[in-house]
Amino acid sequence: MTSGLTRRQVLAGGAAGGAALALGLNPAQAQTWPARPVTVICPWGAGGGTDATVRIVSAVLEKELKQPFNVVNRTGGSGVVGHAAIASAAPDGYTIGILTVEISMLHWQGLTEFRPDSYTPLALMNEDPPGIQVNASSPYKTVKELADAVKAAPPGKLKASGTGQGGIWHLALVGWLTAMGLKPDHVAWVPLNGAAPAMQDLAAGGLDIVTCSVPEARAMIEAGKARSLAIMAAERNPAFKDVPTLKEAMGIDYTTGAWRGIAGPKGMPPETVAAMTAALKKVNESSEFRDFMASRGFGVRWAPGAEFGSFMEAGDKAMGVAMKAAGLAKG
Amino acid sequence: MSTLFEAIGMVCQTDVLIAILLSSIYGLVVGSLPGLSATMATALLVPVTFYLSPIAAIATIISASAMAIFSGDIPGALLRIPGTPASAAYTDEAYAMTRKGQPEMALGIGLWFSALGGIAGTISLMLLAPPLAEIALNFSTFEYFWLAFLGLMCATLVARSSPVKAIASMFLGLLVSCVGIDNPAGAARFTFGSVDLLGGIEPIPALVGVFAVSEVMRAMLTSEPPKLPYRRFGSILAGQIALTKQYVKPQVRGNIVGIIIGVLPGAGADMAAWVSYAMSKRFSKTPEKFGTGHPEGLIEAGASNNASLASGWVPALLFGIPGDTITAIAIGVLYMKGLNPGPTLFTERASSMYALYIIFILANIIMIPLGIVMIRAASHVLRAPRAAIMPVIVLLCAVGAFATGNNLYSVMIVAAFGIIGFVMERNGYPVAAMVLGIVMGTMVEQSFVTSIIKSDGSILPFFERPVSAVLASFTIAALLWPLGAWLWRLRSRPLAQ
Amino acid sequence: MQFSDRVTGLFLVALGGLAAYGGSRLPPVPGQQVGPDVFPMVIGTGLCLCGALIALGVGKSFEEDPEDETLSATEVQSGPPDWWRGLMALIPPGLLLFYVLTVDRLGFVLTAGLMVLTTATALGARLRLAVPLAIVAPVLVHLLFSKLLRVPLPPGLIPMPW
Repeated sequence: MTSGLTRRQVLAGGAAGGAALALGLNPAQAQTWPARPVTVICPWGAGGGTDATVRIVSAVLEKELKQPFNVVNRTGGSGVVGHAAIASAAPDGYTIGILTVEISMLHWQGLTEFRPDSYTPLALMNEDPPGIQVNASSPYKTVKELADAVKAAPPGKLKASGTGQGGIWHLALVGWLTAMGLKPDHVAWVPLNGAAPAMQDLAAGGLDIVTCSVPEARAMIEAGKARSLAIMAAERNPAFKDVPTLKEAMGIDYTTGAWRGIAGPKGMPPETVAAMTAALKKVNESSEFRDFMASRGFGVRWAPGAEFGSFMEAGDKAMGVAMKAAGLAKG
Repeated sequence: MSTLFEAIGMVCQTDVLIAILLSSIYGLVVGSLPGLSATMATALLVPVTFYLSPIAAIATIISASAMAIFSGDIPGALLRIPGTPASAAYTDEAYAMTRKGQPEMALGIGLWFSALGGIAGTISLMLLAPPLAEIALNFSTFEYFWLAFLGLMCATLVARSSPVKAIASMFLGLLVSCVGIDNPAGAARFTFGSVDLLGGIEPIPALVGVFAVSEVMRAMLTSEPPKLPYRRFGSILAGQIALTKQYVKPQVRGNIVGIIIGVLPGAGADMAAWVSYAMSKRFSKTPEKFGTGHPEGLIEAGASNNASLASGWVPALLFGIPGDTITAIAIGVLYMKGLNPGPTLFTERASSMYALYIIFILANIIMIPLGIVMIRAASHVLRAPRAAIMPVIVLLCAVGAFATGNNLYSVMIVAAFGIIGFVMERNGYPVAAMVLGIVMGTMVEQSFVTSIIKSDGSILPFFERPVSAVLASFTIAALLWPLGAWLWRLRSRPLAQ
Repeated sequence: MQFSDRVTGLFLVALGGLAAYGGSRLPPVPGQQVGPDVFPMVIGTGLCLCGALIALGVGKSFEEDPEDETLSATEVQSGPPDWWRGLMALIPPGLLLFYVLTVDRLGFVLTAGLMVLTTATALGARLRLAVPLAIVAPVLVHLLFSKLLRVPLPPGLIPMPW
């Protein structure tokens, strides 16, 4: 009975918008955090990379902190629904979630009011740069040859995909095109439901270029159906040493990436934040997490708490500029 | 040969066998609860697989998903509440059989032909993986458009109602699928400013609403029906073997259709069941018996359903392309366990591949005894008083819908679709056709819009690409056939009177 | 709840018209020849067409629904008046709405118990059946969902010991 009452008080505190009240209640609570199961919201569906990442993180957290960490997939609306659910949860440390790069994009499109600063950042766990993939039977062997062909082609002739309209891989393409001095829509974007269908359509001959992370393209590349020409990152991916960076191959210093990090709603008690960041640091260093990320080819990138917050802020500004340039931002 | 023995050795480990047994029971239980899907059963197993050996990890996914797909038929047959969009295709048929006093027969068909279909699908995976994968790679958005279109046309065939009303119901479903921003343009459509509606309306809560809630609503209006005539079946299997001999053709056709549709990523088991049920009716000698508790359609759809599940692994294993959410999860587990998808999996890791085949077959075999126990237990539900069953159904609707998205909004969708389904049924609009529209709507639009972008606005490629042309002619033939038949009936009717 | 085909047909015409109108107001997307407006418009037109055909009674001859006869047969019987029974049908969706509104405050077990109790009594169950059911079913469902499926159900006023 007592625990039910405490929770109600906390909820009431949250509802009253009283972060101060929650803070006042929390010293006692923080010492025992987590005292009951924690819900971890994933804005993307089961089976995807984000889902896999959040499940491994939760499994290790559960082992570390001896409380269940239940992953729930709250999907839909290109991530809007799940991200909104994380931001509007009670900031008591019992509902957290995984943020993805989309949180720095959706509000520019006018699809949500939530921005990176609507959250309590806990830790950045991963970042994957996009690669440029073509069909294995295409004549382009290097990204330079492909770039020349793109420049020579009339606008809209070549088709590319990798995700939906205005998604992160669409912006990656736009970024590459503008870096070459071309218009954002010089290569037509075919909105598909993620990287897997795009890679399949690339192999089926329906597309010319697919921009998506190299791990997402990996199986098709290994099956000899596709080729990765370059990645838009500062360094090569150790799992794919043969793929050069854009800077190495063409001297274009354009990098971007899709990141994933753990965060909670705004106004979480600092003690809980500290406990959580410490636990996530252990996750990041655990062999389970490292082995998992390596086996999938996912990049590990670590930034705790406030550092993750400023990483998101910087990314958010860059996204705003890029999306306005591409005509994808609203207003 | 030595790889085969090695593979048998890998499967016959205690931990693998225990994993198969436990995850099978788990899959049977989860799948039989209305609103809970095989995907959810599989996703919940992922953290467990972290701590299992590679073969045991894959075994849990394979067995749980196979069982969950079968047991999704149980609430459909007994209570007219389909567990998955796939079983919505033949729920009315199975329920009609239950009302004839043959619930164990209806479920026995589901079980037996699912198991046989699963084994047929596995054999296709073993023998034909590379050519099947080529089929999958020949499918671009143009082909998917025709496929989705063909799928939609099944709407008129599955219902015993006016075809105009069936098409109207399907359009209603399509309209529902428009809601949200998950469309090719990423535009917010019919969301009325609601964040929840931005995410669209998921098929599962809608399905639970139109079938389960509206069923309880109907129960409120009617007095308790006389108890169904109940007779215990001597042997569930004996009846099935007789049916297997009687309906060889529908079964084989179901297997083939299931295998082909299953290989196509994104189409999957849902569509296989609909297409097969419709085909069965179309080619049957006694189409008028469909919908009255006739085994033929159930056999073909069941055979197709599980065959597609196994062949769906082909693109997953060869190219890492998931056929559906279940194989998407499986791919993650494969990577995690160092069994990276790709052609090398078939050559360098041949013993692991054989082990995987053996697990598939094993899972489909133990499905039969476990399924029989489950059927016997579940059919007691029919003898319980209605006033005890219906309240539990309402409760399961609420929790099941909540569990799909961990969102109270899903529960509201269930309630709303309960009312919609109730009104539609009362007025002779088939709700199954609406479910089909919701499931297929996104695929129709997505494939059409993307195809048009790729062809720079020309519709010629829809007819020029070889596979596309074949599918287009199927579609046009299927469109003209009922029209012709209808005109012919119109002409001959006055003469008959 | 049963209307004539003319009424439902005209309703579909209106709905289709609204869908097409709502769709036509969506802005086009640069680079896409077929914008987000096209599908709602096609669907709306289809609905209008079907609705008109239904209102005119086309395709009526195909309707053969033996189930309807049995349904209406059991319905015609002594008991409370029609409008009362009509309202009874709204109990299940009403209870789902009740669940949405109260589950966070009352907690799962209490809300679920009230739902089961209401449905069972509405279906004519005696309290001897309804009360034990309302206690046992929610607890079992809670155990199943929170333990086996790990769905976080709100504890509310009566938290479960597991």
